[in-house]
Amino acid sequence: MNGYAGKILRIDLTDRKISNIDTKDYEEWVGGHGMGSALFWDLVKDKTIMGLDPRNVVTIMTSPLSGTLAPGASSRTEVQGIGIQSYPIGWFTRSNFGGRFASMLKYAGWDGIVIEGQADKPVWIDIRNEDVKIKDARHLWGLDTWKTQEEIWREVSGRGYGNWVELGSEERTTQPPAVLTIGPAGENLSVIACLIHDAGHSAGQGGFGAVWGSKKLKAVSVIGTGAVHVADPKGLMEARLWAQAKYSMDLKNIGASWFSRFGRIRPQNVFWKRSEQARLQACIGCHQGCKERSDTGYGNESTCEETSFYQGYDKWKHGGRQTSSAYIATDLLQRYGINAYETSRGLAYIIALLRMGVLGPRGKIQCDLDFNKLGETEFAEQFVRMIAYRKGIGNDFAEGFFRASKRWGRLEEDLKTGTLYYSYWGLPEHGYDPRAEVEWGYGSILGDRDINEHSFTFLFWVPSTTIWAGKTPRPPAEQVVKIYAEKLIPYENNPLMLDYSTENIYSEHMAKLVAWDRHYTRFWKESVLYCDERWPDFINTRISDYRGLTGEGEPRFFNAVTGKKFSFVDGMELGRKIWNLDNAIWTLQGRHRKMVHFSDYIYHIPFAGSGNFAMYYLPGREGGEWKYIRVNGRCLDKGKFEEFKTRFYNLEGWNTRSGWPKRRTLESLGLKSVADELEKKGKLGA
Amino acid sequence: MKKKRKMVMQISRRDFLKYTGTVAIGAGAFPNRIWLDDAIAAIPASEGYLLVDTKKCQGCLSCMLACSLVHEGEENLSLARIQVLQNSFAKFPDDLTMAQCRQCVEPACVEACPVKALFVDKKNGNVRVVDVKKCIGCKSCVQACPFEPSRALWNPNKKKALKCDLCSDAPFWSKKGGVEGKQACVEVCPLSAIKFTKEIPEQKGDTGYKVNLREESWRRLGYSAD
Repeated sequence: MNGYAGKILRIDLTDRKISNIDTKDYEEWVGGHGMGSALFWDLVKDKTIMGLDPRNVVTIMTSPLSGTLAPGASSRTEVQGIGIQSYPIGWFTRSNFGGRFASMLKYAGWDGIVIEGQADKPVWIDIRNEDVKIKDARHLWGLDTWKTQEEIWREVSGRGYGNWVELGSEERTTQPPAVLTIGPAGENLSVIACLIHDAGHSAGQGGFGAVWGSKKLKAVSVIGTGAVHVADPKGLMEARLWAQAKYSMDLKNIGASWFSRFGRIRPQNVFWKRSEQARLQACIGCHQGCKERSDTGYGNESTCEETSFYQGYDKWKHGGRQTSSAYIATDLLQRYGINAYETSRGLAYIIALLRMGVLGPRGKIQCDLDFNKLGETEFAEQFVRMIAYRKGIGNDFAEGFFRASKRWGRLEEDLKTGTLYYSYWGLPEHGYDPRAEVEWGYGSILGDRDINEHSFTFLFWVPSTTIWAGKTPRPPAEQVVKIYAEKLIPYENNPLMLDYSTENIYSEHMAKLVAWDRHYTRFWKESVLYCDERWPDFINTRISDYRGLTGEGEPRFFNAVTGKKFSFVDGMELGRKIWNLDNAIWTLQGRHRKMVHFSDYIYHIPFAGSGNFAMYYLPGREGGEWKYIRVNGRCLDKGKFEEFKTRFYNLEGWNTRSGWPKRRTLESLGLKSVADELEKKGKLGA
Repeated sequence: MKKKRKMVMQISRRDFLKYTGTVAIGAGAFPNRIWLDDAIAAIPASEGYLLVDTKKCQGCLSCMLACSLVHEGEENLSLARIQVLQNSFAKFPDDLTMAQCRQCVEPACVEACPVKALFVDKKNGNVRVVDVKKCIGCKSCVQACPFEPSRALWNPNKKKALKCDLCSDAPFWSKKGGVEGKQACVEVCPLSAIKFTKEIPEQKGDTGYKVNLREESWRRLGYSAD
């Protein structure tokens, strides 16, 4: 099986039983999310259990491309199971992280790990190639995620970093074990606890840190010295060099290129002040890194939201100058294992409540945070530690700020005004607001989480950043839309799918865009595990006609590694199948159409957008002409959104009254047994 | 005249090679057989070397993946002839090091091999390579390499030694490798942090092999080029 190790590790923590699942039994699902959903379906008989139930199964899956030279596809690991963060039901959900865990798992001879049950005392799992042991973790329990990893490195690798490490009699590696671990937040069952790997890779959404904590699982460590077999090594090398030379960053003429969708010159996805004494740092196999390690050792490998979590407060406190506080605050999130989106939106929320006089010394909600220190390291430490250890009001924060608001009796009011900026499923708003960039919001509410998949955000960033700078956006809207539309297979050449004008955002065209994105990401991003940071590549500013790699690139690397003859559209169809299986699981969990709605403010408060986002541009038609139109100032129409849902359910072949999958749809996808199970439970869409 | 002769005699072979560039050039400039003894002359210098910039490296290990892929037809970090070691939690620049084979002018691995399986491949630019057919799997070369981590590797499946051949024998690559061709690690490195050279690097210490490959354009990424 080229691209596969051939077996999946199954660990029952209750009975401390270690066994194997044959990967072949799940090969039709290819890898990652597809395999994870199928395993979950088979292994969790009662889908209505809660996330912290010992019967919950957590899958940690790789892809056939993990550990290979396929660009931006070697590193990511897909985590699934019933989560605890979303509301009103902790959906069967997913999260995904980079680094080198997936590749190391493959080199050790495993395509994934299935974790079930609950240990009676803290344990960690020590994987050294074939040798797997469940070990006592009492000495690790209580340690932060970085110390835990360093301790495990020492335990597994002895002297560790710097030389060959012998594993067994003959096998050797220079690499430290890849460790995925929880911090104190996970141990204390915080709803917003993450899984952390290396310094800054985390599976943040879903609250999987607490799921592990409830299973008394502190960490999984893996070190491998074996190989990933490749069907066509020459083809893989050739494809990599071709893609890199043609589409990736040109060092001699550095400019935006392969999915540097923010239109910036630099590939680093960090928002704080950067050091000149640093390196660009990449996950294994990546052609274009997005993170850094610097001479201060602060903020190593953190990217995106976690780098913006505290820098604004830091600058505000220090007269516009950023100090080390911003980095240290982020490192604290990584070390205690806490979700950066929750803390970002949550901190903004409690500051708003403080200003309203509702929280703090003058308010009803007692809070002993010293807000005079906001922007200082001391405040960040106090805030993060009170969440991790559930101290004082931190006990509420640890439930996530949506549930905290509910506890304080403020939920209804603060969702009406948007003071609590949580748009979908009780989860923090990402920033690509449903009122503006509708495909992001629709995808999130029709799924299980903030999608956090940037397939179309280029459509906002490129025109908007250019207009902010007072220039004319290039390429023009019509050309951009044409290129995207060509690549939206199997709905190709329908530019109306990319019309973000208010007249079009409830249309069947927009439903197709959302469906395309869900199917594409379910397969190519979450199952084959192409990184969201670099894929899809619709528009590539290094190419003279701007046509990016997407469509051609995805199957080329996949086929070189596996020897299969998968087409791009084969992947889209399998993505649709996986998406349908997920919807069947949500249906069994209790989902119904009537639950599928945004928070109130999305329908009542016009989208203003803060900072630069107050000038939010997307392509759309105005008077029959394609332009970049400003989408601020609108809210979603509740009635029209309901009509949109009907269009979407029809498109997917789901029942329009309930949103449940229909037998015909499931059977056409080869999911007859899923239809049978839904019928048995009275949940099959008529 | 006498004084000059004495000076030449005092130059070690390593320095001689460093100052003259290559053996071939050296042979043209000096009548080297006059003063090099036969034992040393039997090990001519490699005509190619890999240089790395450890401050430029992004730690993606693509060089390792490419090396294993083109030589072994599979992805295996433990069989990569170039190794990148890094620590997520450490401070730049001590968070990462690169360990490529130095194609030593005085190769301890060649000298240690009891069966001459690790030999100087005169047909391929004098690169130090392993003749797998001859290798008896004694690991003498692995132990003899004076550098950490050892640049001579061990293949536990085949029970044979391995080492960098500058891609002179890369059966799973369609490009011509070796000193007159391309090297997979150099080609694949997204940041051009590995360079091939025909000049013999300074053999003492690391400075000859760990160099600055950051050009002026590097500053556009926001990093110091110094």
